Amino acid sequence: MTAVEQYLKPEVIRQISRLDLRAQFIVKGFLQGLHASPFHGFSVEFSEHRKYAAGDNPDDIDWLVYAKTDKYYIKKFEAETNLTGYLVMDLSASMAYSHEQELTKFEYSICLAAALCYLMIHQNDPVGLVTFGEKIIDCLAPKSKRQQIGNILSMLAKLKPRDKTNIGQSLNQLAAMLKHSSLVMLFSDLLADPDEVIASMRRLRHGGHDVILFHILDQAEVAFPFDGLVELHDPETNDSIEVDADAYRSEYLEEIAKFRSRYEQECRQIGIDYVPLDTSMQFDRALTEYLINRRNWG
Amino acid sequence: MGFLTPALLGGIALVALPIVLHLVMRRQPQKLEFPALQFIRKRQAANRRRFNLRHLLLLALRCALIAGLAMALARPTIKGSGLRGKEGAPLAVALVVDNSVRMQYVFQNRTRQQQAQEMAQWLIDQLPENSQVAVIGRSRSSAGFVVDLGTAESRIHNLATENNPRPLVDAVQEAIRLVADQEERRQEVFLFSDLSIESLNESSLQAIHESLTDAPDVRLYLVDVGVEEVSNRALLPLELNASVLRPSEPLRVEVPVRVTGLAEAPLVELFLNDTDGEPVKRGQQIVEIGADGLGRAVFELGDFPAGTHQGLVKFSGADPLNADNTRYFTIEVRPAAKILLLGERKTDALFLREALSPSLITDPTTVGFECVTERFAKASSIGFDTYDAVCLLDPPPLSEELWQSLAEYAEQGGGVGIFLGHHARLSNFNSNAAQQLLPGTLKRKSRHATYLRPQRLDHPALMGLRNYAEQIPWPLYPVLQYWEFDNFAGDAYIVARFANHQAALVERPVGRGRVLTLATSISDPLELENREPWNLLPTGPEPWPFVALSNQLVSYLAQSENQPFDFYAGETVNLRLAPRHQVSSFVLHPPDSESLRRSLPPGADTIRISTTYQLGNYRVASGGQSRQLDRGFSVNVSPAISQLARVAPEVIAEALPSNQLKLATTLDDIERYVDIGRTGRSLFSWAIMFVAMVWGAEHLLGNRFYRETP
Repeated sequence: MTAVEQYLKPEVIRQISRLDLRAQFIVKGFLQGLHASPFHGFSVEFSEHRKYAAGDNPDDIDWLVYAKTDKYYIKKFEAETNLTGYLVMDLSASMAYSHEQELTKFEYSICLAAALCYLMIHQNDPVGLVTFGEKIIDCLAPKSKRQQIGNILSMLAKLKPRDKTNIGQSLNQLAAMLKHSSLVMLFSDLLADPDEVIASMRRLRHGGHDVILFHILDQAEVAFPFDGLVELHDPETNDSIEVDADAYRSEYLEEIAKFRSRYEQECRQIGIDYVPLDTSMQFDRALTEYLINRRNWG
Repeated sequence: MGFLTPALLGGIALVALPIVLHLVMRRQPQKLEFPALQFIRKRQAANRRRFNLRHLLLLALRCALIAGLAMALARPTIKGSGLRGKEGAPLAVALVVDNSVRMQYVFQNRTRQQQAQEMAQWLIDQLPENSQVAVIGRSRSSAGFVVDLGTAESRIHNLATENNPRPLVDAVQEAIRLVADQEERRQEVFLFSDLSIESLNESSLQAIHESLTDAPDVRLYLVDVGVEEVSNRALLPLELNASVLRPSEPLRVEVPVRVTGLAEAPLVELFLNDTDGEPVKRGQQIVEIGADGLGRAVFELGDFPAGTHQGLVKFSGADPLNADNTRYFTIEVRPAAKILLLGERKTDALFLREALSPSLITDPTTVGFECVTERFAKASSIGFDTYDAVCLLDPPPLSEELWQSLAEYAEQGGGVGIFLGHHARLSNFNSNAAQQLLPGTLKRKSRHATYLRPQRLDHPALMGLRNYAEQIPWPLYPVLQYWEFDNFAGDAYIVARFANHQAALVERPVGRGRVLTLATSISDPLELENREPWNLLPTGPEPWPFVALSNQLVSYLAQSENQPFDFYAGETVNLRLAPRHQVSSFVLHPPDSESLRRSLPPGADTIRISTTYQLGNYRVASGGQSRQLDRGFSVNVSPAISQLARVAPEVIAEALPSNQLKLATTLDDIERYVDIGRTGRSLFSWAIMFVAMVWGAEHLLGNRFYRETP
C-alpha cells in the first residue's frame, strides 16, 4: 500500500483536522490506486494530448498527431454535459453515534461527502449541499467553481447532527425542489421507517434523478459486539431496552441483515445504487461508486 | 439419612440472602448508547422472557449453592440398616459358616472354608467388645451365644469340615431365631456361603424369606466365598452288581464319573483291601467323558473267598475338590442259602425247586439257593438246624412233635414257609402246636376264583418286586382255591391279599425267625390225581412272576436277601446279624480313628451304628482271632456335595427381602455394609462435589450476564 492510499482508512483520516485536506487526501489516495485509463475518457470535449500508455484505448489514439510526430498520442476530453450533484446529509442524532470507531457515522459521511465534492469540482461538475433533519434544513446551490469546494467544506465542517429525523419527508421535499435531473448522493443511516424512505426515493427516481444511497452504519450496529447484560439507549427516541447481548446477538444480526437486504433489493428494483458502508470501511468503495455512476452519465 | 453435625443445617437459612439480593440489590446492567434499537424492539418480548428465566435460574443456583454448602458442612451420612431407634445399640451377631465338605473346594491355595473362616475372623475383630456373638456351622448340634469374642474366634478357628451337614437353611433359620430374641440389640446374621444350588435352592430361599419376614429387625449379610468358574471331577455313587456275592461269583463295579470344567480324561483306580486292611491296586481305567460331562468306568473282579471284602475307587491325581474323588465299597461273599423243601412226595416240590435252583443252570455261582427235597414222612428225622429255611409245600396234618420242632427251629432264627393246600385239615392245623406257627385259625377252603393282588410292595418279603409292580399281570395267574383264615394272632401281619381282599400272604415273627404263610399252594404237584389245581401261578403263560415271587419269599425266609453296605455320612447303619448268630459285644474299627468296643443287648439281631461321620470303610468284628463275626460297611460322601453350580446373586436378591439382605464378596464390601449399617456412610465428598458443580454452573451463568465490557 502506498503512503497516499492509507488516507482511505477512516482511522488515518481522523488524524487530519482540516476537512479540505481530508478530502484531498482521500481523493488523491483513491486516484493513486486506480489505473490511469478508467479515470479518463468519460468526458467527450477535447482538452489536451498526452502520450499513449499501456492500457489506453487504441481508439483514442490521435492518428494525425502520429502522422506528424511518429509518436502515439491520445486525445484527452472534457465533459460535454455537466452532472449536477447534490450531497444530501442526514443530520439525525443517531448519526452522531460511534461505539469503538474513530469516526462517527456523521464524520464518516462528511469525509466521504467532502471527497466527492472535491472530486466533482475537479471534474467541473457542479455540486450542491442539502442537509435535513425532520425536513430540509439548509441548502447550498450547486456550482462548479473552485470556490464551491471551500463553501461546501466550510458548511460541512459546521454541521452538527440534530435530534430527530424524517428522511421520507425530507427527500420528498428535495424531489420537489430539484428542477433538473441531478445526481443525489444521500448519506444516512436510514434508521427510520423503510417504507416511507423507499417511497420517497421512488419519487426522486421518478423525477429523473440518479440516486446513490450511502447507507452508513456504525461498525457496532453491524456486528453487535456487546457481551452480557446491557441496557441500550436510543439517543434519538430516548428509549431504553435491557437485553442479554450474548443471547440476542444472532437475532440482531439476522434483523440487520434483513434490513440491509431489503434496501438493496428495493434499490436495485428502482435503479438506485445502494452502497452499504460501515464506519470501519475504507472510503474508496464510496468513491468508486460515484465514478461508475459518473461514467454511466458520460 | 442423617447428619454428624446437624446444627450446621441452620446455614440453609442463608438461602434467603441471594433472594433478598435478587429482589433488592439487583445489579444494574451496563448502559450503552445504541441507535439501532428498532431491531432490538422487534424481538424484545421473547428475549425478556428468556432473560427472566435465566435470572431465576441463576437465583436458584445460588440458593442451591448455599443450601448444598450448609448440608455438606453438616456431614451427611446414609444409614444402611434402617433399624430406627437402634443406632449405637450393642450388637447381637450370628456368624453362619457353611462348613460342608463342598467348602473344601480349593481356589488360590485356600479352601472356601478357610476363606470363610478368615473373613469371619476379620469380622469378629471389627465387632465392639460388648457384642454377643454366635458361631453356627452345619453340624447337627445347636449353638448359642459364646461368652466373649475370643471364644468366638476360637470357635471359628476350630470349625471342622462336616461330612454329614444339616441343610444350610436350618443353620440360617437357627441364627435368625437366635439373634431375633435379642430385642434390645441390633440383630445381624452373617452367612458365609459358596451360594451353591444345593444349599440355597428355591425352597431354602423361601424358608429364609419367611424367617426374615417373621423377624423384621434382623439383617442378613450374605458373604459370597464361592468361585464363579469351577472345575471338578466327581465319582458318583458306585453301582455294584450285588452287595452279597456267592463264592466265585464275579464282582462288577460300575463307576459313574462327572467332570466339570476340565478337559483331561480322568484315570480311575480301584483298590481292594488285603487281609491286613491295606489297599492293593486291582485295576485302573481312563474314562472317556461325553459331551454331557459324564463317563463310566467298569471293573470286573473275581475269586473272592467267603467273608467281607472292602475296597475303594479313586481318581489318580488331585483336583480343586478332593472330597468326591474317592468312593468306598463293601461286599460280602456268602455261600448259597440251604433250603429244605418238604412235600408229600419229592416231585411235589418240582416247580419251586426249579424256580429257586434251576436244573438247567450248571454254573453254581449264579444259583442263589441250595435246595434239598424231602418227604413229610421223613421230616421228623431231619435236623432243621443245618438249613436256612424250611418250606412246607401243601403240608398234610403233621404230628405235634413236628410242629413243635419247627416252632423251636423258628425261635432260633430259622425261616419257615407254610404253603397251604389241598392236604391241610382244620383239626390239625388249628391245634395249639400248629398255631404256634400259623398266623390264625383256618376257617374253610374257598373256591371263589381270584388272583394275587399285592397292593403295596414295601414289605421286605416283596420289596424285590417293587420295580416291576406295574408290569406283573397277576390276573393271568388265577387262584382257584385258597384257605380263609379266622382269628388272626396278634402279631400276624398281612403282607399281601387276593383281589377279593382275603388274606393271601401273612407273616408272623416267631422268636428270631420268620414264618410266612401263603393261603394257597405255591405249586401244585405235577400229577394232580383227578383234582383241580389250586392256582395257575407256576403253570400260567410265561410264569416269571412265580419265579420272582418264590425267590423273594424264600430269600426273606432264609434272611439272605441283599442288604446295603453303602451308607452316606451321618446315616445310621443297621447290620443284620446272621440268624442263630449270638453276639454280646463287638469292636468297631472306624477308618482313621481308634477302635471302639460296644456291647449288644441280649437277643439283638441287628447292630446299630450311628457314629458314621468319617468317610471310609468301617469294620465290625467280634470273637477275636476266631472271627466269629467279621462284617463291614462303607461310608461315602453324599453326591450332593459335587453340585458346584451356583445360584445367581440376583436370584437371591430377588428371593429375599431387599431391606434385610446385603450381598458381599470381599472384605471391603462387608466393611462398607457394616459401616453403613452401624454408623452410616459419609456423603461429604458427594455433597462437596455437588456444591462444586453448582458453583461452576452459577459462575458460568453469572459471567454470561455480567461480563465486563472493556
